[in-house]
Amino acid sequence: MAAEVVMPKLGMAMKEGTVSTWNKKVGDSVSKGDMIASINSEKIEMEIEAPQDGVILDILVQEDVGVPPGTIICYVGKPNEQLTEQNSSANELQAPKNEVAATISLEEPPANAASSKKSKETVLISPIARKIAESENLNVETIKGTGPKGRITKADVEKVLAERASEASRPPAEIDKAIKKETLPVAGMRKVIASRMHNSLLNSAQLTINMKADVTDLLSLQREIKDLIQQRHKVKISLTDFIARAVVLSLQEHKQMNSAYIDNEIHLYNHVHLGMAVALENGLVVPVVQHAEKMSLVELAAEIKTRAADARQGQLSTDRMQGSTFTITNLGAYGVEYFTPVLNPPETGILGVGATEDVPMYKGDNLQRRNVLPLSLTFDHRVLDGAPAANFLGTIKQYLEQPILLLL
Amino acid sequence: MKPLVVIGGGPAGYVAAITAARQGKQVTLIEQKDLGGTCLNEGCMPTKSLLASAEAYEKIKQAEQFGINLPLEQVKINWDGVQHHKTTIVKNLVKGISYLMKKNSIKVIKGEASFLTNHCLAVRNENHVEEIEAEQFIIAAGSEPASLPFAPFDGKWIIHSKQAMSLPAIPSSLLIVGGGVIGCEFASIYSQMGTKVTIVEAADQLLPGEDADIAFTLQEELEKKGVAIYTSSSLTEMQPKDKTALFKHKEELHELQAEYALISIGRKPRVLGLGLEQVGVHFSKQGIDVNEHMQTNIPNIYACGDVVGGIQLAHVAFHEGTVAALHACGKDKSVNYRAVPRCIYTHPEIASVGMTEKQARSEYGDIRVGEFSFTANGKAMIANESVGKVKVIVEPQFNEIIGLSIVGSYATELIGQGTIMMHGELTTDIMEDFIAAHPTLSEAIHEALLQSAGQAVHS
Repeated sequence: MAAEVVMPKLGMAMKEGTVSTWNKKVGDSVSKGDMIASINSEKIEMEIEAPQDGVILDILVQEDVGVPPGTIICYVGKPNEQLTEQNSSANELQAPKNEVAATISLEEPPANAASSKKSKETVLISPIARKIAESENLNVETIKGTGPKGRITKADVEKVLAERASEASRPPAEIDKAIKKETLPVAGMRKVIASRMHNSLLNSAQLTINMKADVTDLLSLQREIKDLIQQRHKVKISLTDFIARAVVLSLQEHKQMNSAYIDNEIHLYNHVHLGMAVALENGLVVPVVQHAEKMSLVELAAEIKTRAADARQGQLSTDRMQGSTFTITNLGAYGVEYFTPVLNPPETGILGVGATEDVPMYKGDNLQRRNVLPLSLTFDHRVLDGAPAANFLGTIKQYLEQPILLLL
Repeated sequence: MKPLVVIGGGPAGYVAAITAARQGKQVTLIEQKDLGGTCLNEGCMPTKSLLASAEAYEKIKQAEQFGINLPLEQVKINWDGVQHHKTTIVKNLVKGISYLMKKNSIKVIKGEASFLTNHCLAVRNENHVEEIEAEQFIIAAGSEPASLPFAPFDGKWIIHSKQAMSLPAIPSSLLIVGGGVIGCEFASIYSQMGTKVTIVEAADQLLPGEDADIAFTLQEELEKKGVAIYTSSSLTEMQPKDKTALFKHKEELHELQAEYALISIGRKPRVLGLGLEQVGVHFSKQGIDVNEHMQTNIPNIYACGDVVGGIQLAHVAFHEGTVAALHACGKDKSVNYRAVPRCIYTHPEIASVGMTEKQARSEYGDIRVGEFSFTANGKAMIANESVGKVKVIVEPQFNEIIGLSIVGSYATELIGQGTIMMHGELTTDIMEDFIAAHPTLSEAIHEALLQSAGQAVHS
């Protein structure tokens, strides 16, 4: 019999919950435990799992529509199973008999989730305080309001600005006056980078997770095919190209990572415009490989080489530095293992690539010499949570550890 | 809950007492005269009653303009009736406060309080001295009229505001020393009742805290009613014997005879006689020192209202009394002076909130000013009250409304809109879409806001 999935009551005070995202649509097959929807209430966001194997028979609550706890949000049953009249009127009766409590999987402890859900809409702030904060690139979510019900006032914003100015002007303690210091102007590319990176940290909720991929087989494959590719396509294929390909394929499987947070909306992209950070003598640029999802590994490698060369020669046009949907940054060449990349706004994710390391590793009972690649994924917690981000990083790892998939 | 004693039953004191009682405190209130303090008994209420009588008389004289024929020569002011109206209102309001005391189980003791220790007061009345112990105290002793050193009040010729509202008859002439709020209000009242009024003001304009153009509108109207106004003038001598005052105006010495001389040069906090020195409460002649919770340097003693100096207005006293009481009851409450309206009950009325144009220019440099005159407002024309204007001051970077001044009929009611805008920290771009009822005087505010953004429709 069809199981009714209801909006759970997540606390005594909860009056309403909202399906923020349906992960399944009517007709989709599900297995017990599959995430079928994300829901949020006043304070927390949670995933709802399928209570049993079957298909989604009907969805009764649309995204972003608040409903009271106990409201049936969907039915899971056998394919082609007909819903009874009793089923379909259950919401009106407010007393569903065959209710199966939604199985909830917490992304994070609710307390953490609560703080991450304080969106701009829910911030109580006076109009003038908001204008000043925006003009100074202050994240209003971090300001403590002293007005009625914690409303942020102009004075609160000015206090934060005064503290910031005071911090900035505070002289370092115990400076040895005998030491001469050199002052470099923050101008040109440095100024742009300084502003963009600072704004990135001020205006998003960045979290970095790390994972290691065993790239021993990938490096073998690279050695095997590089000469062939060089001869046939005149392209010198590198580890970075394989990583880029793995990222592109993973982004197509995890669309929420291929997105941007703009004006309190999440924009999901079908295309992948891949940003590749390139270090220059005087700074950093991010050329964009457009429509990377349409390229084979070799085409992608060729495009990356072309864009990087353009960048180094200062021949990168503006349109080739805009519109990226995800960025890769590689500090492996400098011996860096893990690091926390800073998001390239308004993107949701950036992958940091570290230096490959030879390590002894057990493969079954055998101790082997393996090459592992440290990966650092920074993502915007406003857009997605730890588990889906980890799944995305896991998919990249999977592609890198089964490199044949990258050639398909 | 441990007992709390409030000293003074004026706006700060009685509100503090009610607030603390509602928080569960056992409250005693000590008042040496009548509940309601200066506001009810000697200030806001009785003067507004006199003004209402004067305005009714003025309006009746305009009857013909409204198409009503009256034997105008027979229309006279019955001064006893005016006083009766005033006294009745004051009595009823005082009764109302007494009722609120009973309703909130507040014990009221008549007497004069002074501290013996920071937990004990001596309360003196005609018959005996009583000692009252309490855990906490809120001082709301108010203020009293300031006098001139060379011209002490004698109640016969040199009078203060309380005496000015209970004169035996409408005076034939009145010298008002001080063209501030109180002076202008009395000038307005008595000039409408036929008194020959002269104002002598030391500053270069009436109402020195307000914009010159706003104050000048009032000056013109007062002068139309025969008020002689001398600004930039200083009083040099008072001769009670022949009721003559000497004052210097533009280096020229003037001599003036008047039936009464009202000294209205401000009010001083009533800080003496409270035994503050006894318990070490910090104070000066400007008032008792308090923090943002209205707490003195002695943690169990609070002070609020006129006795702390600052903005001596009844509505500020209400707020300060509430803050003091709530903080004394363990609530984290601070005073908020973000948008304090200033109201002057003259004819025409003046009301303002936030900065004047002069203050705004000094603080922000370039500002935007929007104005709309009541001469173009239908409702004002209908009421024959088209003198005055609304003036809005806007900070140009974020369009913040930083000041609003109104001179005109019902300005003291209209200013509520400006108070809300400023308290809510609204911007003109938000207010541009606001719909003002038509026909109303409020439309003038909307038009002034639109004009500040260069979008005025009716001007």
